[in-house]
Amino acid sequence: MHDGRFDPSGFYEFNLTGGTVRTRNGERVVVLSEDVLSSLVAAAARDGDLTPLRRLGELLGQQVLGSLDRPASVLSAEAVLGHVSAVTSLFGWGRLTFERWGSALVVALRDAPDLDEDELGAAALLGGMFSEISQRQVSCVPTGESKFIMVDFEVAETVWGWFKDGADLPAIVGMLETKRAS
Amino acid sequence: MTDREDRLRSLLDKVRAKRPEERETHAAEALERLRTASGTVAAAPSSIPAERPSAPSQAAEPTPFPSAFPTQLPSSPLSDPPTSPTRDSPTRYSSQPPRVERPLSVEPRARSGRPASGPPVVPPRSRRPESIRPQSVAPTGQPIVYATDQPEFPRPKTFGELLELTLSLRPR
Repeated sequence: MHDGRFDPSGFYEFNLTGGTVRTRNGERVVVLSEDVLSSLVAAAARDGDLTPLRRLGELLGQQVLGSLDRPASVLSAEAVLGHVSAVTSLFGWGRLTFERWGSALVVALRDAPDLDEDELGAAALLGGMFSEISQRQVSCVPTGESKFIMVDFEVAETVWGWFKDGADLPAIVGMLETKRAS
Repeated sequence: MTDREDRLRSLLDKVRAKRPEERETHAAEALERLRTASGTVAAAPSSIPAERPSAPSQAAEPTPFPSAFPTQLPSSPLSDPPTSPTRDSPTRYSSQPPRVERPLSVEPRARSGRPASGPPVVPPRSRRPESIRPQSVAPTGQPIVYATDQPEFPRPKTFGELLELTLSLRPR
């Protein structure tokens, strides 16, 4: 099949006669400017409904799953990161990397489109993508400096509140502890 | 005594013939001592050094030597020759007991085959002191299976394990 790395060749299919752009998996995509997308995302954040961005993230996650030869849960973090960062870059959402802060897994997204001040748009996009990849409900909460801590959706609101109260990433990690599900 | 007197007289005559006045007094005195005393022939040479004019005076008043070093060795123990083995030993200024330091410093030098230009080599002792003898490395009664086991390195966590860990975080 392939050596485990993401193959970006032929990812987009441009149909100039039909005026469509599709991914190699068949989804139709639309190319938007950053300014237009930023306005849309800002409006969605004000309304408190970032579902469209989360749905976009799920589409990216499907692209990632389609490029893997095994489930992501059994692969190394480096292998999954290679595919995730490649798909994220192909959709123009910046450079994605992983960081480990103790037991916490943190996603860093550099050079992402400047959508909203609180980076909630990017958080919704990442949450939808990793939920699709892991087949679990994952929330990526902004913690500043384009870093998002991956937590269970049940504690996302609490962590978001800590950040809004001024806690940075080390402080947030310090206020969390591992608890096994009963 | 008669024979000696005759020989001395003949010698005196010969001397007188060679040196008429110079040796007359001394020869007469010697002849007189042979007559009056029971002296032997050996008594005559003992007086010869006294007749030397300069030797006694030099021994009594030595000429000052220009050097600052003394002309005679003092009787103090500090003036012992520096090549004395007992004083040139490395253990002289060492704070360690000599019996411990010598085997450590001498035996390796003897094995390396260097010329014996340094301090005198102390004959190797049959046994090192108990304090510096190497401990035995022979296997003890404990099993050595611990050393043959393959070390277990931590396996890198998979993405699923990392995700499980971060999703298990809860507020303290």
